[in-house]
Amino acid sequence: MRTRLAILMCVASLAASGRALAHHSFAAEFDEKKPVSLTGTVTKLEWTNPHIWFFMDVKSPDGSVTNWGFEMGGTAQLLRAGWKRDSMKIGDVVAVDAYRSRDDSNRANARSVTLTNTGQKLFAGSQAP
Amino acid sequence: MLSAALLSVMTATTSAQWLSIPLPGTPRTPDGKPNINAPAPKTADGKPDLSGIWKADTMRYNDNLLPPGTEAPMLPWAAEVYKHRVATMGYDRPMTFCMPHGVPDNMTVAGLPFKIIQTPNVMIVLFEEFHVYRQIQTDGRALPIDPDPAWYGYSIGRWDGDTFIVDTAGFKGVVGDNSREGSWLDNNGHPHTDALHLTERFRRTNFGHMEMQVTVDDPKAYTRTWTSDTMRFTLQPDTELLEHLCENNRDLTSLQQYWKGQEQAAPSTAGKQ
Repeated sequence: MRTRLAILMCVASLAASGRALAHHSFAAEFDEKKPVSLTGTVTKLEWTNPHIWFFMDVKSPDGSVTNWGFEMGGTAQLLRAGWKRDSMKIGDVVAVDAYRSRDDSNRANARSVTLTNTGQKLFAGSQAP
Repeated sequence: MLSAALLSVMTATTSAQWLSIPLPGTPRTPDGKPNINAPAPKTADGKPDLSGIWKADTMRYNDNLLPPGTEAPMLPWAAEVYKHRVATMGYDRPMTFCMPHGVPDNMTVAGLPFKIIQTPNVMIVLFEEFHVYRQIQTDGRALPIDPDPAWYGYSIGRWDGDTFIVDTAGFKGVVGDNSREGSWLDNNGHPHTDALHLTERFRRTNFGHMEMQVTVDDPKAYTRTWTSDTMRFTLQPDTELLEHLCENNRDLTSLQQYWKGQEQAAPSTAGKQ
């Protein structure tokens, strides 16, 4: 299990080292100068093309909860990066490294997702360099 | 060791998806791994066989077809369209509307591979992105006269030694002041018109590698013909294409809202031919 995790992380870093694909312009929608790292509870997962989207509730220090949406690669791209369609489930707590949208809404393009119950970190298909 | 372990992980976790499946006809090294440096395969008539699943080595060709440091010889209207597309980060490129990349740039989408199936009278290219295909007729026919303009045009192919030469014409292109008609030549937004004639030259250098150059002849958009960078592709062995249909296009609305706001702040006259 430990070996498998290490290998999956290796796959993730290999995949992340090259630019992946968004079907639209990553740069037109998201800003690589606005990195965000957030941890929250998954509320919805859309395992779809051309992009997978998931949503999670993020709790602020003041106790308020904000729902964020994250874009990932398409299904084939994530399957090739080691994901399965049930890698992330509603209710899971995940940590996301992402780039926020240009319009400063609570939407971002995820670069990697760490599943906190297993520690597994997966490449999420960001197109950022 | 690592790759052997990787293979076993991929097999264990993804075999149900055909992501890792040994394909017959694949030359292998003694340890069973695909030998991507083996000679290029040949068909029964002795021509190189381009069949296989291919992936562009870099997204750079998809961003810009030209060799680094060079510029396309655009006519003034085309230069205006291009400038506007670059300034707006290509937000309204065809993919935003779930329309596909075209020729040749559907082959340069590094994140999503394509599959060539070479048969005696037609070469079929299946693109994973958006589940689209292209046919290159190799039965000796000529290009059609006055064809109905098409997104992928009409393609005929022939062999010159080990080089496969494809001529394509009959494209949809920029019409009047509509800069959104037809494909873009690359993601940066080099435009083309219905006068476009492309000549692609493919060469499979060995089992695992293929290269291609394309010459762009479009006298309505460019002052002279120009040739792309040499694009390189690597075979994706022991795998299959997967489905990629545009079923959940969440980006369109936010892209349009954001960039309409930007354009209202700084209006542009680009796109007038």
